[in-house]
Amino acid sequence: MDPDTVAKAFVDHYYSTFDTNRAGLANLYQEASMLSFEGVQIQGAQSIVGKLTSLPFQQCKHDINTVDCQPSGPAGGMLVFVSGNLQLPGEQHALKFSQMFHLMPTPQGSFYVLNDIFRLNYA
Amino acid sequence: MEEQTEMVGRAFVDHYYNLFDNDRSSIGTLYQPSSMLTFESQKLQGSENISAKLNALPFGQCRHAISTIDSQPSSFAGGIIVFVSGSIQLLGEDHPLRFSQMFHLIPTVEGSFFVQNDIFRLNYG
Repeated sequence: MDPDTVAKAFVDHYYSTFDTNRAGLANLYQEASMLSFEGVQIQGAQSIVGKLTSLPFQQCKHDINTVDCQPSGPAGGMLVFVSGNLQLPGEQHALKFSQMFHLMPTPQGSFYVLNDIFRLNYA
Repeated sequence: MEEQTEMVGRAFVDHYYNLFDNDRSSIGTLYQPSSMLTFESQKLQGSENISAKLNALPFGQCRHAISTIDSQPSSFAGGIIVFVSGSIQLLGEDHPLRFSQMFHLIPTVEGSFFVQNDIFRLNYG
């Protein structure tokens, strides 16, 4: 599978999990994983999912505008750079965001998120 | 370790955009033959091609203003991922353009860093 296809498949899976089963994101992170969420640094799958499931909204919908990816080095890692919109219920306008994932291969032939950086794009 | 990563990230961002804004013809010194740039979805590889692309952008002078810098170790032998957002003001334009950019920095033998991966996107709307 070519890298662009893998990246797109990961992005689809990540955001649909986020939007429909946020606790299920735990499978995508490991102990070494790092998240910077609007400047707040968090490490480890448990803490990361704890943060994401405690965000001050129950429902949300991500709409993705752009997905760029590049191989990160000889270990088979992949950098994925995403931009899109995040719609919260009851809000008139969607929030714009950019997010970067550094994916590393698992022995099972899948990927987990080693690095994750999320930023809202303010006007 | 966290503080050091952050320091390196900030120092690199300062240097990168200072070079871009004041001496763009030297920007190639921050890349190597293995470097990759995706610029508004266009893919380029190698310092020569990347430098040529950046120096051929359709504006003379520009000024980057950085809003946010996030850095994390990439677990690739001292590598650092830096995620930047900010705006770029072009000479003669009324409003600056907003952008996001991601760098993956790899240490050099001289104790510095080069850009192995670079992804740039304008933030519209």
